[in-house]
Amino acid sequence: MGRFVNGCESGVAMDEQRRSYRQRLIALAAASIGSLAASAISYGAAIYRAANPEPLRAAVPGETVDTGRWHVTIAGARVSDSPPSGRRPPEPQTFLLVDFEAGNRSASTAYLPAKLLTFAGLEAKLASPNFYLTRDKAFGPSLHPGMPERLTAVWEWPAGEMPPRELKLLIGSQVYKKRDNLYGASNWFDRDPVAIVSLTVTQEAARARQ
Amino acid sequence: MTTFANILALLLAAAALYGMQHSTPSYSEILSPVAVPAAQGKPAQTERFVFGVAKVHLAGQLVAPQFGEPRTYTTSGKWLVVEAAAKAQDRSVSLTSAAWRGPSGLRFAMSTRIGSTLGLLGSERLEPGIPRPVLLVFELPEDQIEGGTLLVAETAVTPLSEQVEIAMDSVPPENRYESLTLARGGRIMPWSLEFHQ
Repeated sequence: MGRFVNGCESGVAMDEQRRSYRQRLIALAAASIGSLAASAISYGAAIYRAANPEPLRAAVPGETVDTGRWHVTIAGARVSDSPPSGRRPPEPQTFLLVDFEAGNRSASTAYLPAKLLTFAGLEAKLASPNFYLTRDKAFGPSLHPGMPERLTAVWEWPAGEMPPRELKLLIGSQVYKKRDNLYGASNWFDRDPVAIVSLTVTQEAARARQ
Repeated sequence: MTTFANILALLLAAAALYGMQHSTPSYSEILSPVAVPAAQGKPAQTERFVFGVAKVHLAGQLVAPQFGEPRTYTTSGKWLVVEAAAKAQDRSVSLTSAAWRGPSGLRFAMSTRIGSTLGLLGSERLEPGIPRPVLLVFELPEDQIEGGTLLVAETAVTPLSEQVEIAMDSVPPENRYESLTLARGGRIMPWSLEFHQ
């Protein structure tokens, strides 16, 4: 009798054990399907976004573009034989100048990022520009919050190449991360361009070389 | 009942994780400089240097030498020129970081437009026991001057270094000028100031 009861009990226990295994298996399957679906959706979304980028906003000269850290207003582009400092290099050289206004929206003084202004066309191969303050031609100034300034971006044009008549200028952006991916420190990071500006390049009358 | 308890435990865990995520100080906060509060008028002591503000001037434009010639610097705000003195405590230090924190929390670094000649902070090393006059030049919007704090530290990036935070008084009317000229000074003071009302 005792044996029978024991056998019955062990059968019930085995049944329960089997059920608990099945439950665990189902839970495991549900969790893995869930996480697989999550990563598939996130990968899919990333691939979709890369394949269908949002069209760049087309801005016109004089229009203020919010780029995250900076408010940028492009005034115009010109070609000149001297940089804004007025000191002409000993060898004749061509400079491409873009006048713009920039305001620092962040809470601390900062330098303009090198990728703030880039070109969409073949000119993209040019090196990063130098920035001059229009006010006193100071080179590479830092901009203070709440004090927008007019500046000139200067590119040295490769010797022997004709400067373009029209330009497509891309305005880059910066985003704030409270915790960055490496240290968890707060900082500003470069992001993709947010706007494109079509500019007509005017030729500055060449002054006689002294 | 068990299901209910499970859901409750899950929600509690989620809430706890959310709370921990949002209350953890960021890396920048953990390694931010140690503040040494001070008032204008008496020297602020830190472990490595002593810093005291002597005079504060406010001007609409600044004339300073550049390549040996006086040059006028204009601004959309005001120029704030701080005459101060600093010395090292027990070993030589260089003070390279100075910032103005406005009443709304905006931080203004020292202006980089003026050349680093006239004994500007950061241009010379401080030695122990030898007080040295230092000059600080800021470019500030007018609404950020009143109630500002002067922050001075060895560097802006050294973690957990000490930073003097001087609560600044408002600039007296006799120290507000139309134009301020910075020129080379004599043997003791590396600069001299000339005012135009």
